[in-house]
Amino acid sequence: MTIQTHQLTKVYNADSDFPVQAVKPLDLTIAQGEFVAVMGPSGSGKTTLLNMLGGIDQPTGGDVTIDGQSLGKLSQRALIGFRRDHIGFIFQDYSLLPVLTALENVEFVMQLQGRPESECRQRAEQLLTEVGLKDHLNKVPAKLSGGQQQRVAVARALAPRPRFVMADEPTANLDAQSTAELLDIMQQLNETEGTTFIFSTHDPRVIKRARRVIVFEDGRLTEDRQQEPERAA
Amino acid sequence: MAASTQLATLAWRNLWRNKLRTSIMLGAVVFGLVGVVAMIGFVAGLYSNMIQNAIAWQTSQLQIHNRHYLENPDIQDTLLQPKVITDLLATLPEVAAWSERFIAEGMVASARANRGIRINGVVPDQEVRVTPIAGAIVEGAWLDDQGRNPVLVSKKTAERLKLRLGSKIVLTFTDAQGDVAGAAFRVRGIFRTPSTNFDEGNLFVRHKDLAALAGLSGSHEIAVRLHEEDYRAFDTVLAVKTRLQAVSDPGNRIRDWQQIQPLLASILGQMGVSNAIIIGIYVVAMGFGIVNIMLMSVFERTREFGVLMAVGMQKHRVFTLILLESAWLGVCGGLLGLLAGYALMQLLGYTGIALGTMAEGLGAFGADTLFYPRVTASEYALIFVTVVAASLLAALYPARQILRKPPAEAMAEKH
Repeated sequence: MTIQTHQLTKVYNADSDFPVQAVKPLDLTIAQGEFVAVMGPSGSGKTTLLNMLGGIDQPTGGDVTIDGQSLGKLSQRALIGFRRDHIGFIFQDYSLLPVLTALENVEFVMQLQGRPESECRQRAEQLLTEVGLKDHLNKVPAKLSGGQQQRVAVARALAPRPRFVMADEPTANLDAQSTAELLDIMQQLNETEGTTFIFSTHDPRVIKRARRVIVFEDGRLTEDRQQEPERAA
Repeated sequence: MAASTQLATLAWRNLWRNKLRTSIMLGAVVFGLVGVVAMIGFVAGLYSNMIQNAIAWQTSQLQIHNRHYLENPDIQDTLLQPKVITDLLATLPEVAAWSERFIAEGMVASARANRGIRINGVVPDQEVRVTPIAGAIVEGAWLDDQGRNPVLVSKKTAERLKLRLGSKIVLTFTDAQGDVAGAAFRVRGIFRTPSTNFDEGNLFVRHKDLAALAGLSGSHEIAVRLHEEDYRAFDTVLAVKTRLQAVSDPGNRIRDWQQIQPLLASILGQMGVSNAIIIGIYVVAMGFGIVNIMLMSVFERTREFGVLMAVGMQKHRVFTLILLESAWLGVCGGLLGLLAGYALMQLLGYTGIALGTMAEGLGAFGADTLFYPRVTASEYALIFVTVVAASLLAALYPARQILRKPPAEAMAEKH
C-alpha cells in the first residue's frame, strides 16, 4: 500500500481576512514499510499533514490516495471504516480510554472490526507482551507511567494490523529511556510486521532512528532525504 | 465481547468516571421519583378512598328505580315488578347483597329546629349487608324490629336539631294522596359516615314504618352490592347490569355507580390527568438536569470522542454510546427511585396517612380521615419507562453536538 498526495493543501479560516495556510500544495509518496519522520518546528504543519494522511482531517485542496483510492471520495462511513482497518494512530497524549484496562484498550479497535473475542484477546496479549507490558494487562491507564501508556497506545495502533501507523509526536511526553524503548519497539514492529510508520517529531533522538526524513517548514516541504537509521544501543 | 456489550460496558464505566457528579444526579432522580410516587400514591389513595366510600355508603355498585321516579321523585313511583329483580339477584354469584329502600323527601323537626331531609326506609337486615351504616353508629344502636318508629340520625343532624338518644322528632312528607303525612319517631341511634354531605341530608327509619305512613307498598330503590368491591373491576358491574336489564320491567331503570354519580367517573379521569401532570413536571425538570450533566460529561470528553472516531468507531456507535450513558443514568435512577418509592408506599400502606386538620374539609367529598396511598404496578411501569425515555431524549442534544465535529476538530479541543 502506498500513500500519495497530489497538491495537498490545507488552509484554516479560508473565508476570513486572515487565512492560515497550514500545508501548502504538496506532492508526496510514501511506500509500504517505510519508517518516516516528519520534522519541523511547532506550527510548521506536521500534525495537519499527518491528520490529512490518516483521513481524520479534510484537505481544502488536492487529495490523498492510498493504493489509488482517493480518501476524499469515500463516504464518511467508509472513511471511518478505512481508518479502522488500515490506519493506526498514536497520539502525543496517548489518548487511551481511561475506563478500560491496557488489555481492553488494545482489544478495542479489533472489537470494532468485529473480530472474534478469542482472537482479540490473543493478539492484545501478544502485542502487550511484545511492548513489555505482560505484567500490566489489567491496569487502567491511570495506574501506568507515561512511557507504559504510550506503549499501550502503540499496541492499540498495531492491534488491527494496519498498513500505516501515524504517530503524532509520540515521544514528546517521554523521558530519554522511555523514548529509546518506544523507538526500539516501533523499529522492531516496522521490521517484523512490515507496518509503515509515519511520525511527526522535532526530537533529534527520533529523527536519528528514521530511514527517511521529511522536513517541513511553514507548511512547505523543504527537505526529503533518506538516511541510515541509528540502531538500538 | 459483542459490539452491544462493548458499548454498554463502556457507557457504564464512563458514567462512573465522575462518581460525585453521577451520585448527585442519581440522588436528584431518586429523591424526585420518591416525591412523584408519593404524590401519585396520595392522589390515587385519596380519590380511591372517596370513590370507594361513595360506592360503599351511597351508590352501591348498582341501583334500580322506576324511570318516572328518577325523572321526578314522586312517592307513588315505586319499582315495577321488584320480585322479578330480587329473584334474579338471589341467583347471581357476583351479587353479595341487595337492599330495598322506601324513600321520601320530607322534613325533620325537633322541639328546637327543623330542616329538609331524605328519609330512607330500609329493611334493617338487608341494609347492614349492603352499606357499612350499622358500623357507623357512634351512639345507640342499629335499627331492629323492637320498639315503635325508631330513627337513626347523623351526628351532624343531632347537633343541629339538639337531639340525643331517645329524643323525639317528627318526620313529615307528602303521601300517596298528596297530603302531608307525618309521625313522631324516637332517636334509636346516631351515625357518622365519612361524608358530611351525606350525613346532613339523610336519616334512616324502618321500611315498613315509612311505607305504612305513606300508605304504599313496594320500594323506590334497590341497591346492589357485588362481591368484587374494587371500583376498577367495572366489567363485573356491567355484566350484572346487563343480566338485570334482561329481566327487569322496561319501566325500571338500572344504573351503575358511574351513572348515578358522574362526578365519581370524572374523578377517575382526573386521576389520570393529575398523574400525567405530576410525571410531566418531574420528567421535564429531570430532563433538564440530565441534559446539563450530559453536556458537561460529553463536552469535557470532546477530544476522547474525536479519538474514538479517529480510530474507527462509526458515528452511530458514538451516538449510541452517549445515549447509553444517559440511559444507564435513567435506568439506575429509575430503579432506585421506584424502589425507594415502593418502600415508602409499603410503609404508608401499613400506617395510612392521617389527614388531621384537613379531614373536616375533605369530609364534604366523602374522604376518610385516614386513608392509604396506593400506586399500581402499571403506574410504576409508566414512571420507569417515562424516566428512561426522558433520559434518552436528554442525551440527544449533547450527542448531536459532538457528532457534528470532524475527528480532527474534536481532537483539537483542549478539555
